[in-house]
This record gives sequence, structure tokens and C-alpha cells, in this order.
Amino acid sequence: MLDVLVVEDSMIMRRNIKKYIASLGHNIIGEAKDANEAFEFCKDHKPSLITMDISMPGMNGIEVVKKIKNINKCFSIIMITSYGKNEMVKSALQAGAQGYILKPVTAKKLYESIGKIYPEYLDCTD
Amino acid sequence: MNDESKVIHTYTKDILHPIIKRVKTYLEEEMNIDVFNTSDITCPKNIHLKKNTVMIGTSGSIKLIITLGFDEVLLNKLVEVFMEGEDIGDCDIEEVTNSIACEVTNTIIGNAIDNPVDSSDIYITPPVLIYEAKTLNKYKDSKFAFVTFITKYGEIELTAVGPKEQFENELEFKDQ
Repeated sequence: MLDVLVVEDSMIMRRNIKKYIASLGHNIIGEAKDANEAFEFCKDHKPSLITMDISMPGMNGIEVVKKIKNINKCFSIIMITSYGKNEMVKSALQAGAQGYILKPVTAKKLYESIGKIYPEYLDCTD
Repeated sequence: MNDESKVIHTYTKDILHPIIKRVKTYLEEEMNIDVFNTSDITCPKNIHLKKNTVMIGTSGSIKLIITLGFDEVLLNKLVEVFMEGEDIGDCDIEEVTNSIACEVTNTIIGNAIDNPVDSSDIYITPPVLIYEAKTLNKYKDSKFAFVTFITKYGEIELTAVGPKEQFENELEFKDQ
């Protein structure tokens, strides 16, 4: 079971992502509405996985990834975006994010994306 | 018309078509809502925005303001699908509804937007909800492109506002 932090400024997306992650058997240890809340959380906790909207108020996704990786480079980060062709996605991946999900977010997309980082959580029957 | 100006004149159409397609596939495939009819792209002189309208701007080499306006019944249906049967407390209804209208717009525009002019990135602004929106009037060199999608729960109206020179009048756009 992974300990997951959900970073998302949209209330409805935060709610749905938390629900999907819980349905996959993982543990939600925190949620944040913006990058600063995420940084504060990461200073005191050790999420094994962070899902994060690439565009949030105050800071772009690349800066957020770099800053979180500076706190702990072992944190795995999955970016969430509606626009997959954005240079920001490529740059976020170069900055250390492990993957990205193109909206709309579904439990299946989260499952597959998590499975790419942590193959041990993929169902052997897949 | 040289090649460069031809590209500039047609790129609004090139941007709108994928968005029109994505509105339909999003409603039908992600939300299970059939789109019965999609209007032609028209270019009216003014637009009466729906009460529930979300606006997104694009920047980079493509500069447009794009809005999606939702009929209330249709928006309520989207809320129902997003909530997957879970009840919303009365105090959260407005926040949930607004959040879903913005999320739907962000997903549709973000998924569909592409740059037909050059290979540079187009950036989209965060979605903004326009409360109790009324009328947009065309002024000087601005131009509207307008499309309506009809479902059994009501309509979605797509509007793109941009500089006149971005629009191609000879093809699908119909001045009104």
C-alpha cells in the first residue's frame, strides 16, 4: 500500500482522485490545494507518491517538482494535466516527475500510471 | 494570399474543429450524454452568454478567448455523473457545480487545443466562471465564432472570441 499525497486546486478533482486512489487500495495521507501546502506537508511527512495538477496558483509544475525533489528526491510524482502536448509536461518529467495523466482522470488511468512506477501494484491477471 | 497569411486566416477554424469534436466525444464517451445536434459555426455580432459560463484564454501564437456555456439541467446532469451517485450536502452544491463546470471546460479545451500555425506551445489560462453573464458585443476588429450542442438535458454553447484576421469567412463560418 502506497502513502499518497493529492495536490489539486480543484475541489471536485481532489475528491475524485482521493476516491480512485483509495479504491486501488492505497492510503491517502494528505491533500493540498496549492504548491505551498504541498511543500509544508512534504517537510513533515513522507508520501511514497504525490499526484499533482501541473497548473496551480502561484507556481508552475516544473518549479513544484524541483522543489519537492529538493525536499526528498525519493518522492514519486505523477503530474495531472488536460494538455499533454505542453512543453511544461516534458520539462516536469525532465525535472524528476515519474509520469503524467491526461484528464479526465479515471481509476484505470491512475492504476496504470502507478503500475509503471510501482509494478508490484499491478494485478498479475492484467 | 501568400502561404503565411492563409495559415493565419484559417487557424481559428483549425482550432475550433478539434474542440467541437472533443465537446461531443467528452459528453458522449466520458459522460454518457448523447449529442443530438451540433450547429454550424456562425459569426454573430453579439452573444448572449448562458448563466453558467466558463471562460478560458489561450496565449502563445494563438490568442483566443473560449467560453463554454451550460444549461442548468445539463450542468446538473454533469454533476450527477461526476458525483457517481453520491449525495452533496446542500451547502456544497454551488461550489461543487462551479468546480465541475470549470473542470469540464478545462479538460475539453486542454485535450483539444493544438497549434496549427507553428510548433510552439499554446498555453491556456485557468478556467474562470462568469457569474450571471449577459451579452458580449462585437467591437471593431474582434470576431465571434459560435456553436451550439444539443442534448436531451439542454445545450452547451461554445464561443471563441479573437481578432478578426484569425477568422476565415469563406468556409464554414456564417456571418449573422
